[in-house]
Amino acid sequence: MSKMLKWTLTALVGILVLTGGFTNVHALSLFGSGSDQAGSGDLFAGLLGETSQEAATDNAEKKTIVMGTSPDYAPYESVDAKGGGEIIGMDIDIANHIADKLGYELKISSMDFNGLLAALQTKRVDFVMSAMSVTEERKQSIDFSDSYYAARNTIVSSEEDNFTSLDQLKGKRIGVQLGSTQEKVTQELKDASVKKLNRIPDMIQEIRAGRLDAAIIEDAIALEYTTSNPELKFNMIPASSGDEGYAIAFPKGSALTNDFNRVLEEMKNDGTLQAITDKWFGNENEEENKRGSGVIDFGVLEGYASYLLRGVFITLLFTFVSALFGFVWGAILSLFKISSIKPLQWFATVYTSVFRGTPLLLQLILFYYATPQLTGYDITALQAAGLAFGLNSAAYLSETIRGGILAVDKGQREAAMALGIPYGTMMVSIIFPQAIKTILPALVNECVALVKESSLISVIGVADLMRRANVVQADTGRALEPLLFIGAIYYILVLVLTSLARLLERRMRRSD
Amino acid sequence: MIDVQHLSKTFGKLEVLRDISTSVSRGEVVAIIGPSGSGKSTFLRCLNLLETPTEGQIIIDGTDITDPKNDITRIRQRVGMVFQHFHLFPHMTVMNNITFAPMKVKGLSAEEARTKGLQLLERVGLQDKADVYPSKLSGGQKQRVAIARSLAMDPEILLFDEPTSALDPEMVKEVLAVIRDLASTGMTMLIVTHEMKFAREAANTIYFLDGGKLIERADPEQFFRQPQSERAARFLEQVL
Repeated sequence: MSKMLKWTLTALVGILVLTGGFTNVHALSLFGSGSDQAGSGDLFAGLLGETSQEAATDNAEKKTIVMGTSPDYAPYESVDAKGGGEIIGMDIDIANHIADKLGYELKISSMDFNGLLAALQTKRVDFVMSAMSVTEERKQSIDFSDSYYAARNTIVSSEEDNFTSLDQLKGKRIGVQLGSTQEKVTQELKDASVKKLNRIPDMIQEIRAGRLDAAIIEDAIALEYTTSNPELKFNMIPASSGDEGYAIAFPKGSALTNDFNRVLEEMKNDGTLQAITDKWFGNENEEENKRGSGVIDFGVLEGYASYLLRGVFITLLFTFVSALFGFVWGAILSLFKISSIKPLQWFATVYTSVFRGTPLLLQLILFYYATPQLTGYDITALQAAGLAFGLNSAAYLSETIRGGILAVDKGQREAAMALGIPYGTMMVSIIFPQAIKTILPALVNECVALVKESSLISVIGVADLMRRANVVQADTGRALEPLLFIGAIYYILVLVLTSLARLLERRMRRSD
Repeated sequence: MIDVQHLSKTFGKLEVLRDISTSVSRGEVVAIIGPSGSGKSTFLRCLNLLETPTEGQIIIDGTDITDPKNDITRIRQRVGMVFQHFHLFPHMTVMNNITFAPMKVKGLSAEEARTKGLQLLERVGLQDKADVYPSKLSGGQKQRVAIARSLAMDPEILLFDEPTSALDPEMVKEVLAVIRDLASTGMTMLIVTHEMKFAREAANTIYFLDGGKLIERADPEQFFRQPQSERAARFLEQVL
């Protein structure tokens, strides 16, 4: 069955090319094209370039500067999902203006809001603009520019509750964004149960679902969401004394702080800042958001479908790369486990134990944040995700493959040995094809699991299906529709995958 | 051609082979017989290092194969082996079973290997089965393919480990015919077998093993008519 052999070898070559090419720019720009980053989508190349940035500062003419932001906070920053998927907003305009004045080329890196501080501290980004307020706690670990905008906080609640003051929130369930300044407001609330969520859209959904009574959200955002969810209302609360407004954040001791302050000062004086603010907060605020009617209305997804569907490519590419990497590495580990060399056995056993014994999400986040700090290599989100998932999957697969190898009749090995076939050839062409046939159902399960677990990678900002659903949720203020939509896509992907596996299995049974 | 000196093999505390010394000359056909557990198979498997001898030396054409400095796969290419349970590769067609090793190990082109494969299949009378999978073959056919597979590597020595023990009686004949045919071409062969009639007719020499020892080494006619040892006589009494 030489076809099978060829198939296996092609797969092996494929993984080598892919993993080998993982770090090269071709693969990266391929990945980058699907991300929800601003600009031409070559953020990954941009991030890669950033590793050499320090060296390049002296000689390069147009230096690249990387900004971190959490684009779920319109009008400050959001993903233009109906357009090209770029990140737009007031903060972006200001950042572009400053970068332009200082002679930098701006690259934008998107991530969850509560990952921004870590990104600054690990110098993954040069600065952060994400409607971030100045607080004493944050000043401990990062530097701030002068503030460029002062927002006020509001209480968002259902139309019938319509809370107008903090006193009314006694004993209620209150939502607030994790890591935001609004957290401080909730600390002053007595007797209220506070739930900290990662994203604003989640809080909106929780109020609509009746699991929260109210949320503390700042004015511009509240306006945006109550427009797209007419059953919600917002009311201003008086500004607290220590409120210093929004500012640009830098790593401690960054040389950029002074430069940025200088340009901000200019912008305040010459009216540029006011012009940008007016553009984003003015009443002529572009097209009005589609209002959802009823509990579920898929009409709100109009115009977003193609943006969501492009996530399929990222999800599939990611699944393919991590499954292949996991399979090849898992196969190598399984060989370690059955080898007679003790250190290899120990290594494989400890490896499996560690990767199976810790949460995948934790591994993912660690790889993404720790790699630049420990190795100096600025790993991209998709690389970190592929690495974490591949390594994790390999731990599970190594056990499966080991079982498959042991299930192959010992006589097969002896026959191959007696023919003078070397160990490697024997494993690849004689033992593995037979082992794979027995473990095919388990391999398919692992692939199915990978497709679904790939949704975790949205956490570090990879624009997969899940991330895109979050973006659309932020954009429309509707949670259920985009989630149900991608749920259906995931289900179809898994169905297609299992049907393909069944076909493959039937082909492999030809020799029976 | 093969020179065995003081060969011993133990599995843990169990002594399977005890101090066997013998030599096989080119073109000689040796039938190895003896009660089960006497070490026949282990002896055979030592000759291509499927088992590593505990003590002693095995010298094939001047090369000491027990010397760890020598490349085992190289040695095995010169010593073919046919197993009781055939061990054909189930995921490959008959032709690929035969051509795989010559192509991968000896570097034959696909065309060369196939031409040779067809010749070998003709020799074992299975040229029409080239493109079927082993699961479609009868036991006797499988064993003939296994013989063809071994021959494809042009071995100097061929080892048979009970080649007919797993076969239905009506298939024993076709396999033995192939082996007999090989014997007539001057191939050096060692055959572990329970087929006494076959051993008597096809072999030049009989080895009688018992308790891990080479008890008797004799001409077939003489051995079957008048075994020298009392143990061999008792054994023959039981099986004939």
